[in-house]
Amino acid sequence: MAQEPVSKPFWRRAFPLDLHEESRYSRREFARFLAVVSAGFTVGIGYLWGRKRPLEGAPGEGARHEPVPLEGAAELKAGESKLFTFRDADDRCILLRTHEGKLRAYRQTCTHLGCAVRFDGKRLECPCHMGFFEPDRGFPVQGPPTRPLAGIALEVGPDGSVRAVGDLAKPTEGGDA
Amino acid sequence: MRKLPRKAHLSDAALAVALLILAIQLYLFETVLGAVLDGYRAILPGSFFVSLALTAVALALAFKAPDLEE
Repeated sequence: MAQEPVSKPFWRRAFPLDLHEESRYSRREFARFLAVVSAGFTVGIGYLWGRKRPLEGAPGEGARHEPVPLEGAAELKAGESKLFTFRDADDRCILLRTHEGKLRAYRQTCTHLGCAVRFDGKRLECPCHMGFFEPDRGFPVQGPPTRPLAGIALEVGPDGSVRAVGDLAKPTEGGDA
Repeated sequence: MRKLPRKAHLSDAALAVALLILAIQLYLFETVLGAVLDGYRAILPGSFFVSLALTAVALALAFKAPDLEE
């Protein structure tokens, strides 16, 4: 390795760069920056792992909540829908009856940018960016959304009354009622 | 102009690997976040340890990789 000339003054050895070189950004510094950003992603994944509450809009794994009776659900005809709130007043959901006669419930939050979806009788539609979801499992079929809607588990009581009882663990699982 | 010191410089390969690791981390995080939003949390432990391993490699490259002159 090249040695600094001994004749250089001490200050020069302590401050080896000239003024115009001060803003120099070495590869080593850049690599350290990359490593720190990489560590940030690891911390982020660790946070998601350690977080107990589901992220906003994400279904909890089979989480059950205080059952919410859905008035008038049994009277819904095929292609009709009604809105209800579930966990709290801000948790807006939509109950619908498919053309096969099955009741389905989803969070109204579009998985694209969070607009409220509505049921047009055949598909769930997000009017903001014209995203469409099929009503049976909530899967996106057209437009910008790529993830299915969050499903709500339904339960039918012995008297025929329908209640929302929790989040579906996976959007692909049926929420038959 | 005085030639700049090359001490503490990384090789092209080391820098390329560091960049590649960051790209993988970005893709991994985006994928994990999408999966978690869909309710799939089972991938989190595996993703975390993969991400941790990649970070360890990136840190080793950034702090321990030999200089060009060595």
